[in-house]
Parts: sequence; C-alpha cells; structure tokens
Amino acid sequence: MKRSIAAFLIALPIFAQSTPPAPAAPRETKVPQPAEKTLDNGLRVIVVSKHNIPLVAARLMVKAGGAMDAKGRDGLASLTSTVLTTGTKTKSAEQIARGVEALGAMMDADAGWDNSTIDLSVMSSNLPKAMEYMADVARNATFVKDEFERERAQAIDALQVNLRQPRTVAGAVASRLIFGDAPYGHTLEGTPQTLEAIKREDLVKFHAANYRPDNAVLVLAGDIKAEEAFKLAQSLFGSWKGSGPKPAAATASSKPAKARVVVIDMPDAGQAAVSVGRQGIRRTDPAYLRALVANSVLGGGYSARLNQEIRIKRGLSYGAGSSFAPRAQVGPFVARTETKNESAADVAGIIVDEMGRLSTSDVPEAELVPRKAVLIGEFGQSLETTSGIVDQISALALHDLPLSNINAYVPGVQAVTAEDVRKFATSNVGSDMNVVVVGDASKFLEPLQKRFGEVEVIKFDELDLNSATLRVRKAKQ
Amino acid sequence: MRRARLFLPLLLLVGVAANAATAFPPIAYKHRVLPNGLEVYTVQDRSAPTVAIHVWYKVGSKNDPDGRSGFAHLFEHMMFKSTKNMPSEMMDRLTEDVGGFNNATTFDDATAYYEVVPSNYLETLLWAEADRLGTLNVDDANFKSERDVVKEEFRFRILAPPYGRMFYALTKHSYAKHPYKRPGIGSIEELDASTLEDVQAFHRTFYRPDNAILIVAGDFEQEQADAWIDKYFTPIAKPATEIPRVTIQEPAREAEQRVTEYAPNVPLPAVAFSWLVPAASHPDAVPLQIVSTLLGEGESSRLNEKLVRGEIAQEIYTESDTREDLGIFIVFSIMGSEHKPEEAEKVIRAELASLAEKGPTAAELEKAKNLVITGALRERETSNGKGFTLGESIVLYRDADFVNTGLTKLQAITPADVQRVVKKYLLEGKPLVLTYFDESAKTPKGGAE
Repeated sequence: MKRSIAAFLIALPIFAQSTPPAPAAPRETKVPQPAEKTLDNGLRVIVVSKHNIPLVAARLMVKAGGAMDAKGRDGLASLTSTVLTTGTKTKSAEQIARGVEALGAMMDADAGWDNSTIDLSVMSSNLPKAMEYMADVARNATFVKDEFERERAQAIDALQVNLRQPRTVAGAVASRLIFGDAPYGHTLEGTPQTLEAIKREDLVKFHAANYRPDNAVLVLAGDIKAEEAFKLAQSLFGSWKGSGPKPAAATASSKPAKARVVVIDMPDAGQAAVSVGRQGIRRTDPAYLRALVANSVLGGGYSARLNQEIRIKRGLSYGAGSSFAPRAQVGPFVARTETKNESAADVAGIIVDEMGRLSTSDVPEAELVPRKAVLIGEFGQSLETTSGIVDQISALALHDLPLSNINAYVPGVQAVTAEDVRKFATSNVGSDMNVVVVGDASKFLEPLQKRFGEVEVIKFDELDLNSATLRVRKAKQ
Repeated sequence: MRRARLFLPLLLLVGVAANAATAFPPIAYKHRVLPNGLEVYTVQDRSAPTVAIHVWYKVGSKNDPDGRSGFAHLFEHMMFKSTKNMPSEMMDRLTEDVGGFNNATTFDDATAYYEVVPSNYLETLLWAEADRLGTLNVDDANFKSERDVVKEEFRFRILAPPYGRMFYALTKHSYAKHPYKRPGIGSIEELDASTLEDVQAFHRTFYRPDNAILIVAGDFEQEQADAWIDKYFTPIAKPATEIPRVTIQEPAREAEQRVTEYAPNVPLPAVAFSWLVPAASHPDAVPLQIVSTLLGEGESSRLNEKLVRGEIAQEIYTESDTREDLGIFIVFSIMGSEHKPEEAEKVIRAELASLAEKGPTAAELEKAKNLVITGALRERETSNGKGFTLGESIVLYRDADFVNTGLTKLQAITPADVQRVVKKYLLEGKPLVLTYFDESAKTPKGGAE
C-alpha cells in the first residue's frame, strides 16, 4: 500500500495517546474554619470568612419546623415562614420586599422538617442594611390577616398545581406509607384541607413559641470578618428576648407499619412515577456516614446502581436515584424514578432487587472507592460557595453536632468498608419496602401484581393525603 | 439530574465591572487561537483545588436536520458514549469517580459540555475532550438505548408536568420560519426516525476544532495548562469543508396572533406572551434584560405586585430569551383559582403601557440593576459558573469581553432606555398570546385551534 510519508506524519500524532494520562498529585481541599460566639440571650453566631467574592450568605435558623405542625394543621411551619416576611410592626409587605430587593439581596424564609430559616444572599457592602430586614421579620413579624389569607390562598393554588404531577403525588404517598400519621408522614406544604383549617392565630403562636434567641443560630459565610459579624449580630439581635419556657422537641417518629404496595391511578398521566421507601436513620445516628456511602453505591448520583440499571443499561428513565433524609428523628429513605407507564412495574422490581443486592453481597472495592470519591467531591464543591458553607455549618448546628465534624467528614467517608455497607444495608435497606406507583394503572397493574402480590389501587380523585389509609372516607351509607 | 439543562433560561448574562458600591474582580481570561481554529480561553483561580473544563460547540437545536427535530440534543447524549479510545460512560469514570461531575446543555445556538474535577485531573480531561472531539464511535445498541432515555426526558419535561405542553407550544408558535420554532427536545416521532448514520454525519459536520471553544477555569499553572492544550488539541485536523450555518431570517410579525391549547391535568388556566426581540449581540439586549427584571424578578417586581400579590395569578415568570438570531421576550402567568387569563392579559398590557409612558422610577431601576449584579456575583462564585458566563458571552453575545463590559453597559441604562425598548419591542411589537386550559374546558365544537 502506498502512503506518503508526509500524510503519515500528520496522521500519527492525532491519537498518539490511546489511554488517559494519569492524574498529578492532588491538592488538598481547604476546609473552612468557623469562628463562633454565643450572645448573652443565647443566640449562637457562627462565621466563616471567605473573601474571594464580595458576597455574603447569612442564615437565621430556629430549631422548629414541619415536624411541629399541630395535628390537622399540616403545613403550619411552612405557611408561618411564608407569611413571616409580609409585615412587621413598622413595615408592610411591599416595604420589606422593595427594601430588600433594592439592595440587590435575596431574602427567603422557608421551613424544613426540624428547622425554619431566613436566608439572605447579598453583596457584602449591603449586608448590614439587608440584615436589618432579616432581624426585623424574625423579631417583629405581625402576621397581618390580609397577608395571611392571601398567602394561604396562594399556597392552596400552588398545591393544586403540584399535586397534579405524578412525581409529587408519589413522594407524598410514600411519606404516608413510611410514617403513617406520625409527624413526618405529611408533606411540609400540607394539603388544601389542612391549610384551610389553619388560622392566623396558629401562626402567631408558632412564631412566639419558636422564634427566640435561645432556640436560634445565626450563620454567616463570605466576605466578612468574624469580629464584624459578631458586632452586627449584637446590634441587631442583642436585645431579642423569648418568653416562656423553651419549646419541647418534636415527638419521635412512629414505628414502621407493615409495608404496602399502592397504586394511584391517574389514567391520563403522561409518565408514571415510582417511589420505593422505608424509615431510614436519625442525623445523629453513628451510622450516618455508612448510610451516605451505602446510598452513594445504590442511588446517590449518575453512575450509582439504580441509574446504571434503569437509565444507562435499559433506557427506561431519564434518571433514577435514592437518598436518606436523616432528620432529628428517624427520617425517610426513598428511591424514585419516572418511566413510561408501560415499564413502571419493571422499574419498581429493579429498584427492589438492587436494594436487596446491597445486603447480599459486598460492594467490590473497585466500585466502592469511586462512590466514596463522589461524596468527598460533592462535599468539597459545596464549600466553594457561600451558601454551600452556610448549609454545611447550619446542618451541624441544627443537630448540636460539633463544628469540628467538618474536618472529620473526608476521613470518615474514606474509613467506611464494604463490610460496613453490607451490614448497614442488611438492617436498613431492602427489607420492608413500601412501593408507590402513580400513573395509568391499566398499563402496569397486572405485571405489578405478578411481582408484588397484593396491590392497593386508589383512584386519583379518591386519594386522601390527610390520612394513612389514603382513601377519602365514604359518606354514610 | 444529568444532561438536564436543555431549556436553561439565559437570564444572568451580564458581566462584572466596577460598581460604585463594591469593587468587582473582573474575569481575567487569556485568549488564543490554535492553528486548527480552536479558540482557547483560560481563567486562573486557585482559591479551591478544582478546575472546570468547558467545550462549547457552535451547533444547537436550530441545526437539527430536516425531519429530525430534537437531534442536536439527542446527539449531545451520544457524546457520552464510546469514542476511538474511550468506552461508553468513560467520561463518568474520569469525573464522577474521582469526585467531580460532568454535564452538557443543548441551547438553541450552541451545545456546551463541561466537567468539574479535582485540579490534578486537568490533563486527563483535556485528553478526553480532545478524544471525543476527534472521533465518536457509537454502536447501534447504545444509540437506541440512549434514544429511549431522551424519549423519557421528553415525557419528564413535556408530558408529565401540568404546564410542560404549554412551553412546548409557546416555542412552536413563536417563530414562523426560523428553525427556533422547533422545540429543542424534539418529538417522539422524529427522535424515532433518527439513525446511527445521522449521528456520524452530525459529528463530522459540526464537531471540529474551528467550530469549538475550549474554556479552562480554576486551579492550574498557566504554562502547564497551555502545554497540555497544545499537546492534545493541536493535532486535531481542521476539515476543509464549510460549516453549514442557519441563514433563514425570521420575518417581522405582521399582526398579533392568538393560540389556545388544551392538555390533561391542568389545574389552573394560564396565559403566555411572546414578542420577537433582537439578537443577544444587539445593544438593546441589555435594557431588555432589565425590563424582564423590572417586570418579573423578585416579589417587588411589577407583575408580582400586580398579579400575584393582587391575587389574580398564582405565579408569573418573565424572561428576555435573547439568542444568536432573533430572540423572544416571554411573560407567563398561571392564573389564581377563579381567575381568567384575560384578567392577567389586561394587567400585563397595562403595565407595559405604563412602563413605556412613564418609565421606571430611579429607585426601581437601581433595584433591578442590583438584582442582576448580585445574581452575576453568585454565578461567579465557582469556576464552573465563570466558565458558563464566559461561554455565553462568546457564543451568544459574540464578544468574550462582554463578560467584563456587560455590567458597565447595564449600569449605564437610563429610564429613557427602558421606555424606548418597551415601546419599540413590546408595546408596539406584535405578541403571540397563548392561552392554556385543561382539556375538560374544550367544547365539543373545538377551541380556537
């Protein structure tokens, strides 16, 4: 064969290297060193200085959230957060929104399960002014009746929209199956019925009981020095006082009931949603890092087993994953995915099988090492942003864990072994799984019954998220 | 979720420059062009031990072949499959498995592939990006399985969410001629029609060094990074063929258009407007972004105060979606229960008239500017964010330096600029008005369509 030398020389280097070059020596992740101080009134202030961008993230967190919602008033903590920023003793809703936004700031009040937060993200030069608004709403919110009613109507409309999505419905049903009527069994946003039942006075009471300095933590990260932050905290929160006894912690989650397999029949659903779940762990569980590693193997990330099997190998979904949500009390462990109605039963079976596999055989080292690297990498990336640092620090503070844990995360993850994962999975993953499928039941009910046996089928318009039975109670016969 | 950001709103595209209140660090990029036409931008930031690698190709959904709507995006998924030297999903091994991540986004005008990795893996990723630019070697089984994934993505984005079909319809009806009228996600039928041969042809046509931009941002040594870039990218040949470009011009809209759509599971009706607006590189793109901020960003924005606080709407959304060619300015409102789309329509038109006639107040304009600046700062906290904002400046604004001059331009906007662009493009422009209802609202005689 004739080939000119010139062409050969040009062609040669193109793929001279057919294997990837090896990495250089790694540089270590810088873990931020927090400074902290507790004000005389009990408010804990934590600061992480980081000066590369003129931006500060701040969070005022009180240790009470949706788990404290009164019976039949699901969504109370969430609605309290929403109405919190709509009026104080001296400012109207418009004045607050315009004032904050004039500073280019974002202020966002939100409720989690065990906490309620007011988050601020602002240019450092505007921080003192923006923090005045944060302090004002935390301390002086008035919960004006008109604003309460407006926000409640908005929240009900938002629920109407969200509860038409198969994936939202599947998540809400899974919570009920996992926790029954216990505190984590409802959704944070409540339902249209529970929101209707909430009165303005409920918000006032929730605020008075929980928004107090000895139940709160202020976390700041970014372009500010610790001493400046402490001074600012003192001037804005130093005279803040709570009244009465400190609120009691939310009650423990219920014991898991018998696992159920439930179908919510939505005949015109464009895609089915599948959730598989059970009770997981507390945030303070000594097995916390083992749970994270086990989940990283199973469903935490793109190349974890669930996405490998469901998306990458079989093309059955745009994505599948799982997560533990460790909370003050035992939180949920849920895997979820969406797939065309026809393959819903298949996918539910794959999820349950993969969960089982985690406790029957050790994860090979060649798989475990990269899945741990995923956790370590995500941790490092979260510390690159001011809001990510605030998230990490406030999670430790919420559960009264030492802030020095932030240094222990990387070695802690690295120390988890394949045996640890298998043992953890044996008692926490795979057995007693609740299965929920929301979609067009005519396309998957039969194979689902074949795989799981007894299946409860509930029509979408007969679904009642307010009770563990999930069924609208029939009128008297 | 990965390969997810197909419809990423391009909101915060302005750059950072000196501001009266705060000194902003500019994005100090270095630029050079390799002999094969590859544009290279490097931005050093050694504050964290990570580096972001971006490769932007000047090919997007507007380049979908005829009868292959959704192809550019489907192709983007194929770029994670096998090449001459990498088996399928090797990109995940080189990123996710070492504590990084990768993703890609198909825009109308461009496709961006990006990775963030611990900085000691920079050379590895430069090799990998050069490899998939050089060859793609997908087999039929991989192609078909990934096509099924994209069909699930279609169901996930369009069929399952209550308002998914609405945005799909809005895109379709907003353009008469320009290929922008084809939604980037495509359709099940046209995805099914695509073949493995299409994949190879598309790679050959558009994936070439003179149609690509490499951006490296983060922790690296300049000389070392430059040497690696030369080593892996210089050998890739520049094809002699021309790169086909979209030249179709979208005609101006002659009249207002109205469309009604019906879909299952729509709990509250909605209304959306779109107007044609000039290209991202046009000087009016910056004031139009401010108009979108004034109308729809934040609780104190005009439409939030009038419609959401006014209890007419459940939610509103505005966006000045400027593109390489004509873009669209979008206003969208989901109605509150018991409210009709025409109520929102009236308020939206009244606000536009008021903004054109009286302009924003000085304080209101200042607020909008501050919101955009702070948003830009948040984006620049990470190397990946810097890579994104630089890529958008280069591809959409056709001016890398816009990343640093954009904010100066933003600061200079006056109330009169706002009045002028609102009047010219929105008030006197011809909107498409799309109303959207649950299918139960469809009368037996049929709706407007």
